[in-house]
Amino acid sequence: MLELLTYDFMQRSLLAAAMVGGLCSVVGVFVVLRGLAFVGAGTSHAAFAGVALGYLMGWPPLLLAILFGLATVWITGWVEERGRMKLDVSIGILYTATMALAILFIGLMKTYNAEVYGYLFGSVLSVSSDELRVIGGLAILVLGLILIFSKELYFIAFDQEMADASGIPARAIFFLLLTLVALTVVVSLKTVGAILVFAMILIPASTAYQLTHSLMTLTLYSVIIGTTTSVAGVMISAFWDVPSGPAIVLLATTVFFLSILLSPKRMKRAAPAHAH
Amino acid sequence: MNQPIIRFDHASFGFSGVIALKDISLSIGAGEFVGVIGPNGSGKTTLCRAVLGLMAPIEGHLHIFDCACDKLRCHHRAKIGYLPQKGVVDRNFPVTVLETVMMGRYGALGLFSRPGAHDREIAMAALAHVSMEGYKDTALGHLSGGQQQRVFIARALAQQPKVLLLDEPTTGLDITTQHNVIELVQHLHEELKLTVLLITHDINMIRSRVDRLVLLKTRLYAAGPPADVLKPDILSAVYGKDLVITEKDLVIVEDYHHHH
Repeated sequence: MLELLTYDFMQRSLLAAAMVGGLCSVVGVFVVLRGLAFVGAGTSHAAFAGVALGYLMGWPPLLLAILFGLATVWITGWVEERGRMKLDVSIGILYTATMALAILFIGLMKTYNAEVYGYLFGSVLSVSSDELRVIGGLAILVLGLILIFSKELYFIAFDQEMADASGIPARAIFFLLLTLVALTVVVSLKTVGAILVFAMILIPASTAYQLTHSLMTLTLYSVIIGTTTSVAGVMISAFWDVPSGPAIVLLATTVFFLSILLSPKRMKRAAPAHAH
Repeated sequence: MNQPIIRFDHASFGFSGVIALKDISLSIGAGEFVGVIGPNGSGKTTLCRAVLGLMAPIEGHLHIFDCACDKLRCHHRAKIGYLPQKGVVDRNFPVTVLETVMMGRYGALGLFSRPGAHDREIAMAALAHVSMEGYKDTALGHLSGGQQQRVFIARALAQQPKVLLLDEPTTGLDITTQHNVIELVQHLHEELKLTVLLITHDINMIRSRVDRLVLLKTRLYAAGPPADVLKPDILSAVYGKDLVITEKDLVIVEDYHHHH
C-alpha cells in the first residue's frame, strides 16, 4: 500500500482528489442549504456536452465545459428569478437537452475517443501535471471567492429576500453562487466524471447536515468528510484496482448512511427551551 | 409629528400590470409606532416591500430618510430592521441563535468586511434585549415559535436600525405568545426610541398600543389615531360583511377563519 504512494501518478491523483473533494464539499454546503441540488446534476451534464463539442471540433474541452456550465446555471437562475417556472423544471429540461447534445456530439465523432469517456466516468489516476495545475488554479479561484463572500453566501442560503432587504446585493451573490457551482463541476469532471460529480457536491454537505446545527461546524464537517472520502476512495481504487469515481462516491454514500444512523439530530429532538 | 423619515407622496406600486397600492400619501415620523391594517390583498405586504426598497414606485415618490427611493435597493436598507412573515424562513435550517443574529450585522458591514468582536457584542446585546442571550448556541430549529420570533427581532436589532418593520409578527403563535411578542415590540419602541411599522391582521391586539393606524385597501382609506380610524363606517367600507363588531372587540371574519 505505502509503496503506491511513492509513484508520481499516485501522488498527483491523491492531490487532485483532495482538492476536488475539499472544493466540492465547500460549494456543496451552499448548494444543499440554498436548495440547488438538482442544479449540480444539470450543470455536470451541460459541462460534459461542452467537453464532447471540444473534442469534436478540436477546441479546448475544459474551456467549452466552463461555457456550457455557466450558460446552464445562468439560464436556470434567470428563469427562477423571473418566476416563470420552477427551478427543477427548467434545470430538468436543460439537463436532458445538454445530455442529448453530448450524445449527438459523440455520435458525430468518426472514431471512439477514450478521453471523452474519461470525463463522463472520471479517471483521477490518469490526471496529468498540467491538468493538476488547472484544477489547482480553479480551486484556488473558487475557494478564494467563497472566502471573500462567505457571509453573503450564508445569508442568501438562509433567506435570499431577507438578505436583499438587509442591504446585501443578494441577486449578484446568487449568480456568483451559480457561477461557483459551474466552475466546481468543471474542475471535478476529470476526477470523478460528469455522472458522479453531482454526488461529490451533494453527499459531504448532506452528511454534515445530519451531524450539526451550526453553519460553521457544518462547513468544517463537510470539508473533512469530502476530502477524506475522496482521498480514501482513490487509495481503495488503486489498491483493489476498481474505478476511482465510483470508489469515492460509494464510500461517501456509506458515510452518509452511517451519519443518518448516528445523527444527534435524530437521536435527540427534545427542545432545551423554556417557552416564552 | 416628529421629522418624517418615511414619506409616500402620491406613490403607486404594482407588478405585472396589477396595481397593488394606488396613490398613497403618508408620512411616518421618527419615533412613531404605526400599525398597518387592512384585509387580505389590501397591499400591506407591498407597503412593506416598498419601505424595504424591494419595489420602486411606478408613479409618485417615496422618500426614506434622506433618500428619494425612486430606484430599487437604496442604501437605506441597512437602517431598517425587518421581521419577515413567519413561514417564509426555513426554521429547520442548521443555524444557531447567535449565527442567525449575526446575519443582522452583514448588511451594515458591507461587502469585503468580516464580522469581528464588536459585531458579536452588538449581536449579544440584541439577544439580551429580547431576553434570549442564554440560548446563543442553541439550534434555531429547537426553539418554540415565540422564541424564534424573538431571535428574528434580535437579528433586526443587530442591524442597529432606525426603523423596525414587522410583517405580521404574531401569525401562527398562540394567544399568550402573541401578546408577549407585541409587548416586546412596544418595549423596544419605548426603550430604544425606534420607529415601528407593524403590519398585522389583528386590530384588537395593537389598537391600544400604537400611536397611529394606517388602514389600507389598495388605497389609503384612513390614517390617524386608532379612535379616529376604528369607526364602524370606515371599517365597514373596507371590510364589508367580513366585519363583526361586538361589545368589546372588532372581529374580522376572514381573520377568524385564518387563525382557527
